[in-house]
Amino acid sequence: MDHDKLLNLGAELGRRLMTSGAEIYRVEESVERLLSAYGADPQVFAIPTCLIVSVNTPDGHPITRMCRIPAHGTDIELLERCNELCRHLCREPLPLEEAQALVDHLEPDRRQFPSWVLLLGYTAAAAFFSLFFGGGLRDCLAAALCGMAVGACLLFGQRFTGSNVFFRTLICSAVAAGMALLLVRAGLGQSQEYITIGTLMVLVPGMALTNAMREIMAGDIISGLTRTAEVLLVATAIALGTAIPLVFSSPF
Amino acid sequence: MQECFSVYFLPCLWAFCACVGFGLVFNIQGRGILICGFGAALGWLVYLLSTRYLAGDIVSAFLASAVIGFYSEVMARVRRCPVTGYLQVALLPLVPGAGIYHAMQYCVAGNTELFLSTLLHTIGFAAALSVGAMLITSLLRALLPRLHLGGH
Repeated sequence: MDHDKLLNLGAELGRRLMTSGAEIYRVEESVERLLSAYGADPQVFAIPTCLIVSVNTPDGHPITRMCRIPAHGTDIELLERCNELCRHLCREPLPLEEAQALVDHLEPDRRQFPSWVLLLGYTAAAAFFSLFFGGGLRDCLAAALCGMAVGACLLFGQRFTGSNVFFRTLICSAVAAGMALLLVRAGLGQSQEYITIGTLMVLVPGMALTNAMREIMAGDIISGLTRTAEVLLVATAIALGTAIPLVFSSPF
Repeated sequence: MQECFSVYFLPCLWAFCACVGFGLVFNIQGRGILICGFGAALGWLVYLLSTRYLAGDIVSAFLASAVIGFYSEVMARVRRCPVTGYLQVALLPLVPGAGIYHAMQYCVAGNTELFLSTLLHTIGFAAALSVGAMLITSLLRALLPRLHLGGH
């Protein structure tokens, strides 16, 4: 068997699992199982920004591949497809070329929502979270508008906000707080607190903090600490971003 | 009856709708999105009942996330999908986003005491959530070795 191709197969599948937002233990376990199914004895190491896979060829020559993992969101559809393919390959290992072709098709062939549905998702999340936290019907409408603005910034505004997570979050939360302020002044919203917090649920890294804790409990201490640091960074960005409109509006 | 509606039913309904919205953002296709929303509503109901009749909020978070964990694991095994998506979306209403936000607000305002106490409480809350979910995952993995592949 060609161990270079096998290594590529494992690393590519692992990379896709990572970018779809899978937990570290799931990535490591999946790649390990996949390569073991092909008869190799792999070593896999993953942290949120990096994946390293290493195998030994039959004549004892070690080969290693490292993938840098870019910043990514969560894509459950891709995760489910990767997982399905991994289990399928573990049950009946296909020839390497075929398997590689299947892995290459995972990403382009997956079902995706068009961007207006994603925008609707952001809108609904913000609107219903403001109701959830105790806002009234008018707050809900205002939060829907704010959520739509934040969603548009996240989806279409990458040219302006850049790919840096700190600045993107700062700008988005400034937009959210600014719009909440304007809508309350304009008389649509009643409580700025409920509108802002509902909208910020889209940005706030509560999920990331819980995931970080889960990773620490699962024994992936480095990943957990990395994520915790990111959570604090993002939360600081949100706090700073929401302070900007308040500072500018206070003289008026 | 009226109280039951506004105290328990409405928040759970809002949690359901909000989490369906998040499901769209997380690209959850098909029926899975409704399952996630229902899990969120269930978890929040448990949390509400538990804070009212049983215990403080951290213990309630633990209970609620254990219930969500069990629900998600069962659904993941039934649908033969990874548990990640169900768990993440269903935990969203409980997740201490507001806590982190307020903590950093205190930090930026220079109010160190409130910052530290809010931060520690938030971390405790998140830890309770993760322990609850992890506990159920580990228990099911230990108890149902035959079905292990289903949740892989």
